Amino acid sequence: MSNSQTREMSAILHAKGLGKQVISGERRLDILRSLDLEVFPGESVAILGSSGAGKSTLLGLLAGLDVPTSGELDLFGQSLKKLDEDGRAGLRAGRVGFVFQNFQLLPTLTALENVLLPLELLPGSDHQIRGREWLTRVGLGERMDHLPKQLSGGEQQRVAVARAFVTGPELVFADEPTGNLDRGTGGKVIDLLFELNREAGTTLVLVTHDHHLARRCDRCLKLDAGHLTVLDRDEVEV
Amino acid sequence: MSEDMRRNTGSEMKGAVNKGEKDGASLLGLSLKGLKRDLRANDVRALFVALALAVAASTMIGFFLDRLDRGLTRQAGQLVGGDIKLEQSKPFDEDLRRQFEDAGLILADQVDLVSMASRDDSFQPASLKVVDEAYPLYGKVLVDMGEGVEEVARGPSPGNAWIAPRLAQLLNIEIGESFQLGQMQLTVSGLIEREPDQSAGFGSFNPRLMMHIDDLDATGLVRPGSRIEYELLAKGPPEAVARVEDLLAQLEQQGVEVEDVREDRPQLGNALERAEKYLSLAGLAAVLLAGVAVAMATRRYVDRHLDTAALLRCFGASQRQLTQLFALQLLWLALSASVIGALLGLAGQAGLLALLMRFLPLELPPPGILPLLLGILTALAVLVGFAGPTLLRLKQVSALKVLRRELDPLPASAWLVVGVASLVFGGLLWLYSGDFMLSLGLLLGGLVALVLLWALGWLLLGLVLRMAGRFGNGASGGAQALRLGARQLARRRQASLGQLLAFAVTFAAMAIITLVRGDLLTTWQAQLPEDTPNYFAINIQPGERQGFIDILGDAADTRSALYPMVRGRIVAINGQSPQEVVPAESRGDNALRRELNLTWQDEVPEGNRILEGQWFAQDVATSSGNDQPVPISMESGLAGRFEISLGDTLTFSIGGSDVTGEITSLREVDWDSFRPNFYVVFPPETLERFGHSYITAFHVADGSNVPGKLVSAFPGVSLINVEVILGRVRELLSQVTRAVEFVLAFVLLAGVSVLYAALTASHTLRTHESGLLRVFGAGDRLISRVQGVEFALLGFTSGLMGALLAEAAAAGVYIGWLELAPRVHWLMWLILPVGGALLIGLIGHALSRGVRRQTPMASLGLLGEA
Repeated sequence: MSNSQTREMSAILHAKGLGKQVISGERRLDILRSLDLEVFPGESVAILGSSGAGKSTLLGLLAGLDVPTSGELDLFGQSLKKLDEDGRAGLRAGRVGFVFQNFQLLPTLTALENVLLPLELLPGSDHQIRGREWLTRVGLGERMDHLPKQLSGGEQQRVAVARAFVTGPELVFADEPTGNLDRGTGGKVIDLLFELNREAGTTLVLVTHDHHLARRCDRCLKLDAGHLTVLDRDEVEV
Repeated sequence: MSEDMRRNTGSEMKGAVNKGEKDGASLLGLSLKGLKRDLRANDVRALFVALALAVAASTMIGFFLDRLDRGLTRQAGQLVGGDIKLEQSKPFDEDLRRQFEDAGLILADQVDLVSMASRDDSFQPASLKVVDEAYPLYGKVLVDMGEGVEEVARGPSPGNAWIAPRLAQLLNIEIGESFQLGQMQLTVSGLIEREPDQSAGFGSFNPRLMMHIDDLDATGLVRPGSRIEYELLAKGPPEAVARVEDLLAQLEQQGVEVEDVREDRPQLGNALERAEKYLSLAGLAAVLLAGVAVAMATRRYVDRHLDTAALLRCFGASQRQLTQLFALQLLWLALSASVIGALLGLAGQAGLLALLMRFLPLELPPPGILPLLLGILTALAVLVGFAGPTLLRLKQVSALKVLRRELDPLPASAWLVVGVASLVFGGLLWLYSGDFMLSLGLLLGGLVALVLLWALGWLLLGLVLRMAGRFGNGASGGAQALRLGARQLARRRQASLGQLLAFAVTFAAMAIITLVRGDLLTTWQAQLPEDTPNYFAINIQPGERQGFIDILGDAADTRSALYPMVRGRIVAINGQSPQEVVPAESRGDNALRRELNLTWQDEVPEGNRILEGQWFAQDVATSSGNDQPVPISMESGLAGRFEISLGDTLTFSIGGSDVTGEITSLREVDWDSFRPNFYVVFPPETLERFGHSYITAFHVADGSNVPGKLVSAFPGVSLINVEVILGRVRELLSQVTRAVEFVLAFVLLAGVSVLYAALTASHTLRTHESGLLRVFGAGDRLISRVQGVEFALLGFTSGLMGALLAEAAAAGVYIGWLELAPRVHWLMWLILPVGGALLIGLIGHALSRGVRRQTPMASLGLLGEA
């Protein structure tokens, strides 16, 4: 999808003047300063930044997991400012998927049960079938009843990917999805992530410090000193 | 442990390691610093509370029982009334006195009986203690003779009586006034505050009346068949007591009851002794629950310290140093918990004492040091036993975990944890009860119950999981919360099982105490219909029999027959000494130590039932003249205790001659019927040649003048008001019950500490779960409901299991101990699950508020990277 095409639609995610300040001891720390961002349906956006640049904080704000100190944020056309914690959660239900750096699987639940978790918040009688389908799609059809500790890192992240897509979300956030994986395994997980994203026509917002990974997205932004700047593909050094 | 704490520990440890192992002091310092920081953590707090409770429970009971025991030992002579006490139903002869005096012993005579004291229209049963000039051999009497309470080493002089203030109140009499006792007038010259040799228990429920032995004959109370105990008390140095040792053995053979303070610890009353046993077991139950809490909190403690341990390994700490470091930390924790626990225990034993003081016969020495040491030992044992195997994980941490987080050492095997904990707890059981077989039995029984409960819990959780799928697929709040909550509980099966068992055991412990107490009281009340006799009349002479019946006549609502009564002691069973024949555990049976009330009847006494054999044939009559044994009917319980049955013979010594009977029937007797009951019944006329009196029981309405008439017409007859005794029994029971409830409160607290520890242990998991649910779009309300459902289900299921356990245990207690018929307690099956759901639902819900308040970012630990 080209940039010009996407801009004709309304943004799925719209941040304006977003800022986040934390107080550390007696010091005020501006992690994000007056930051603007628009993400349109179907596109994939990479946010690059060095360690400590505030990438995860930004992702948390964009997903409504945390509240900004200043600025406006619209998700699916709704202003998050007017919503409380519950309202924001309700907005996410079934429409937002997540892939985390440290997988965030519940250790006492099997692979299948972990995938079913977001589905259980939604109505429907075909949860089991959908859960199995998605696990099969990520190549774990034979390991549905295994606990996370019985799976390798790559397999755990594939469970997490299945979990992110199982509800049929409009928007998927990925936070350093390969951060805990070796290059080979990480590559396979990323291939899977982009393939599923393309098939489902999902919007993807990906936070990473890996330039290889960033180059595979439609757009790259760089987070530096609390500001976002647009990077041309050529500027993304590999 | 937060990042900066971890960093601090790291740099300090680096220092400690660099300086080398010689520097033990720095390890000591490090452990103290670590503990200080750790006090902020919930699991360390849970450990602290659980250990303090274990110490509090054990020291409370320990201090109390130790004081009681030392008090009894120290004042044994005083409690018994002398170094030796002989007791029989006839006066002791001069020859015997001389032998004791020749051995260098000082003697005192005493006579005990129950009789009626009356003044004007009021009359009261009193427990008479008739003493001579030598009284008391030990200690002093606290008595108020009109000029305040004073200590005197003598009894009342002839013509006078000292009475308990309660009796004075009941008779409405003051010092200087006189009252009627039998055929004699006595003047009250003192009110007794305390006797040195006051015995406790049911026997002394009638108020005391002390008088001089010279007046006894004049009262006319000593008559054939009267229930009188003659006591000969002796005091002297140990060598003098040793000189009469053979004589004492001879006397015992002859059926004299001998008490020697060097061997026999004075007995407490039945109820108090049971309470004593109950208290030690309840204390141990609290220790066990605290142990469970410790085991749960330790899991979380270890999980939390794995990272620290890995870091320290990185910096070069050896496994030994790690073990030492964490062991030291926990040692400080255990010691400080012991101090708090011991203080609580001290306060607790004072509370126990306040409840039971009135029923204790003596002044107690101050608390000793031994229970304190035992308490600390208990804390350490609980820590080692319940936390040890789990803690060893810390030492197995690989330094590589710093780089690869998933490299956690394997969790300690559940079997190892349970095994070690059982061993240690078994040891504690043994230490406290001193009974190896009992400890082993309890331990094995407990383990079997645990395995069964574990299996049942596993099945129930499976059922919950299956049911969860059926709670509808709708997204409506209630159904969804129910479905999610049930699933979360059932899927976290291992952790949930542990909690389920802990709560089930806690609920069961609470239920059993309540059930047993309630059933004891209600069974007792239910067995006493409105017209249950409220008076016993004893010592009715044959010549008074008809006159007594005439007065009582129609005035009584109900009355039992007048049973003739002769007193006799069992001197042989099948021709051998009873001590050689009966099983070891029955050698101390009261039926062998005392004279029994024997009667004769031509029909089966009312309320009795023949279990085996035949009642006497009409023509059996009187073969007592020759040497042939006469047929006798025996109470089945006593026969069971002595292991004798139909065809066995018993020889009784009655009034100096022997009578032998052959058991021809066994009877079941309802001992709680408040009618005259007898162990042994003879055929008519067999015992008439012996001096005898009659006994009967009757019921008259409150305020009836019949008892008054009877007392004035028959001053020698003793009327005993059962209601007064019952009232005292109820009072004692309620005090003992209160003491038991007091201890139960500790058990309850230990149960709550289990809940707290369980919640702490699963805190990480719950935070993670609710964080994820929130990310996936669950609102605060839903998460709150899901958690509520989860805890309520946990409470409900453990309530069900607790009810089952309590029902089984109560049935065991009823059959084995209280001899009540077991029954199903339907109400408990309702109250425990519903109450459990409410209790755990509310507490759990409140305690996890912090989890819900966190933003998902914080819950999932995404804040590490800014």
